[in-house]
Amino acid sequence: MTGQLAAILILVLPALGGIFLGGFNWRGPRLLTQLIGPGVVWLAFLVVLWLFFSGTTGDYTYWTWIRSGGFSVPFNLHVDHLSVFMCLVITGVGGLIVTYAVGYMDHETDGSYARFFCYMDVFVLSMLLLVLAGNVVFLIMGWAGVGLSSYLLIGFYYWRRTAVVAARKAFVMNVIGDVGMILAGFVLFVTYHQITYSGLFGALGKSDSWQLELAGFLLLVGGIAKSAQLPLHTWLPDAMEGPTPVSALIHAATMVTAGVYLVARFSPLYNVATGAHASVAIVGAVSALFAATVALVQTDIKRVLAYSTMSQIGYMFLAVGVGAYSAGMFHLLSHAFFKALLFMAAGNVIHALADEQDMRRYGGLWKDMRTTSITFLVGSLSLAGIIPFVGFFSKESVLGEAFSSGTALGYSVWAIGFVTAVLTAFYTGRMWWFAFVRPAAPYRPAEHPHEAAPVMLVPVAILAVLATFGGALQTSALGGWHLVSDFLKPVVGEAATQTSALELAVTTLTLLLAIAAFLLARQFWLTGAWSAEGWRRRLPAVTALLEHKYYFDEIYDAVFVRGMDTAAHDSERFLEAPLIDGAVRGVGSAAESSASGLSMTQSGLLRSYLLVFLGGAVVAAALVLYTYSRLVG
Amino acid sequence: MFLAAGDIQVGNETLGVTGFLLLATALFVLGAIGVLIRRNPLVMLICIELMLNAVNLTLVAFARQLNNLEGQLFALMTMTVAAAEAVVGLAILVDIFRVRAVDDVDELSELRG
Repeated sequence: MTGQLAAILILVLPALGGIFLGGFNWRGPRLLTQLIGPGVVWLAFLVVLWLFFSGTTGDYTYWTWIRSGGFSVPFNLHVDHLSVFMCLVITGVGGLIVTYAVGYMDHETDGSYARFFCYMDVFVLSMLLLVLAGNVVFLIMGWAGVGLSSYLLIGFYYWRRTAVVAARKAFVMNVIGDVGMILAGFVLFVTYHQITYSGLFGALGKSDSWQLELAGFLLLVGGIAKSAQLPLHTWLPDAMEGPTPVSALIHAATMVTAGVYLVARFSPLYNVATGAHASVAIVGAVSALFAATVALVQTDIKRVLAYSTMSQIGYMFLAVGVGAYSAGMFHLLSHAFFKALLFMAAGNVIHALADEQDMRRYGGLWKDMRTTSITFLVGSLSLAGIIPFVGFFSKESVLGEAFSSGTALGYSVWAIGFVTAVLTAFYTGRMWWFAFVRPAAPYRPAEHPHEAAPVMLVPVAILAVLATFGGALQTSALGGWHLVSDFLKPVVGEAATQTSALELAVTTLTLLLAIAAFLLARQFWLTGAWSAEGWRRRLPAVTALLEHKYYFDEIYDAVFVRGMDTAAHDSERFLEAPLIDGAVRGVGSAAESSASGLSMTQSGLLRSYLLVFLGGAVVAAALVLYTYSRLVG
Repeated sequence: MFLAAGDIQVGNETLGVTGFLLLATALFVLGAIGVLIRRNPLVMLICIELMLNAVNLTLVAFARQLNNLEGQLFALMTMTVAAAEAVVGLAILVDIFRVRAVDDVDELSELRG
C-alpha cells in the first residue's frame, strides 16, 4: 500500500458506509447497519494505523478539481504528523463511540437506526476530509460538511421541536464561522495566489502584514464558531438535544476541536501574525473561565459536560494561542479520551434512567451502576486534572508552557487557566458527588436502574483505560518524556519541554487546589456540611447571572433574532406588499381588465357582428370614395 | 353622380344607368336591413342573396354602359359564389337544427366571450 492509496482510502471507507446505509433508503436490515456503521470507521482506523506505523507522510494530488485561467484547485491530501494525529483521534475514539451507539440507539426504529449510522459515517468522512485536505478549498468543504452532519445529528429527533430549534441554531452559528473561513481563503488567495498548504506556507514570508492579520482573524472566526468559543458558543449547550453518542463524538471529541486543529495547521501563519495569534489565546482563556463559571450552576448533566467541553477547548485555544501547539494537541487527544468517556458514561445513566438528564433526579448511581460509576469517576478525575489521569498531564503541559513562555500574555492567560482549573475541579466534583454518590433522589425515574449492555460498557471501559494511562504519552509536566511533542515536531516546531522548578511548584499547587476543590464539592453536595442553597440566597445576582449563562441567549435573541424578525416583517409590510406584490398584481389585473373589456365585443350575437361588419364596410367605402374624389377632383 | 353618366340601349329604348343603380341600391339596403333585423336564419340567408343580386345588377348595368363584358362575367362569378355560399350556409343551418331546433339566431350565442 502506498501513502497515496491509503490517504484516499481513509476517506472512501466512511463515504461508502454512508452511501450504503443511505442507499437502502434506511431500509437495510438492522444487523447490516450494526456491521457497516462502526465497521467502516474501524477499517479507516486500521488504515490510519498503517500510516502511523509506517511513518508515511506526503502531499498527494489526485486530480485537478477546478482549472480556470491562472486559478486551479487540485484535490490533494496532506498527510503529515498533524493530520495523522487527528485521524487517529477521529477514527479511534470515533470508532469506539460509533460502536457504543450500536447499543445506545437500540430503542430506535430500523429506519432511524440506519439514518443515525449513515449520518455518523458522513460526519466521520467530513471530519477526515477536514484534517486531510491539502488546500484551503477542501478544508472549507470538510468544515462545512461537519457543520451539516452536526446539524443533521442534533436534529436527529426531528419530531422534538427543541431539537429542531437547536439544530438550526447550531447551523446558523456555524455558517457565521464558514463565512469567516471562506473570506480568509479569499484574503490568502488574493495576497499570495496560493491555495494549497505547501504553496501558501512557502509564500508567507517572515514579516507581518495587515493581510496576514486579517486572514488570521477570519480563520479565528471560523475556529470560534466551530469550537464554541466566546462569543459564538451558545449553540453548543443546546446541541445536547442530540443523541448522547453525537454529543460524545461531535460535540466533545472531534468536531468542536477543529478550531484547535485549524490554528495548529496554520501555525506558520499565526507565528507571523502575532496580533491574531494573541487573540486566539485571549479568546481561549476567557472562554475557559466563562464556561467553567456557568458549569457551576447547571443542573442538566449533559449541559454541564457541554460547558466543560467549551472550557477545555478554551484551554486548547490558550495553548495554541501562546505557541504551545503540541501541548494544545495533547490536550485535544486527552480531552477526546476523557470527555467522550464522560459523555458515554453519562449516556449509560441517561439510558438507564428513562432519558432523564436532570442531576437533581439522580443519585444512588454508585450503588446501582457500579461499572459506569467507576468509569465516570475516572473521567471526572481526568477532567478535574488530578494525577495520574491523562487530564492532569495535558492540562499541566498547557498551563506550564503558558507560564514558562515568559510574556505578559503568557502570564495572564496562565492566571485565568489556573483559576479555571480550580473551578473545573469544583464543578466536576459537584457532578460526581451530587449525581452519583448522593443517595437516590426520591423521584428518580427508575427504581432499579440497570447497568448498560456490554456493547456500551466495553467502549466506555476502553476509554477509561486510555484516560487513566494516556498520560504516559507525555509526562513533561513533571519533567518526564514528551512523545506527543516529538511526534508533532515536524509540523508545528519544537516545543518548550524544559520544566523549571518554579513551574513544578506551580503545577503542584494547581494539583493540590484541584484536589481540594473536588473534595470541597463533597461538603457542599454530599454531606451538606455547607449549604449550596445558602450561597445562592446570599448572592442572588451572581446566581441569576450564571443560571442565565451571562444572558448571552437573551441578548442574541433581543438583538439578532428579534431584530431580524422586525426587519423581515417591516420589509414584508413596506416593500414586499406594496412594491413587489403590487407590481405583479398590477400586471395581472391590467391583463384581466383589458381582457374582460375586449370580451364584451365577443357577444356571440350574429347580427351584432353583421352590424359592425356593415358599418365597417360603409366606412371603408366612404374612405375609398373620398380618396378617389380627391384624386380625381 | 360620381360616375360619368351614359345611356343603356335596351332594344330601341334608351334607359339611363341611374335607374338601375337606384334599384340596386334599394335592393341592397333592403337586404342589409333584412339581415340586420330579421332573426330567422333562413330569411337572413335570403336577404344575403338579395344583397348579392343587387351587386350583380350594378355590375351588369355598368358592363352594358361601358360595353365591357368583364362586368357580366363577374356577375356570373358572383352567382356561382352565391350558390356555393347558399349550400354551405344551408348545410350549417341543417346541422344546427339537428342539434337544437332554433329559429332565432340570437339564441345561437354560445361563443360569447
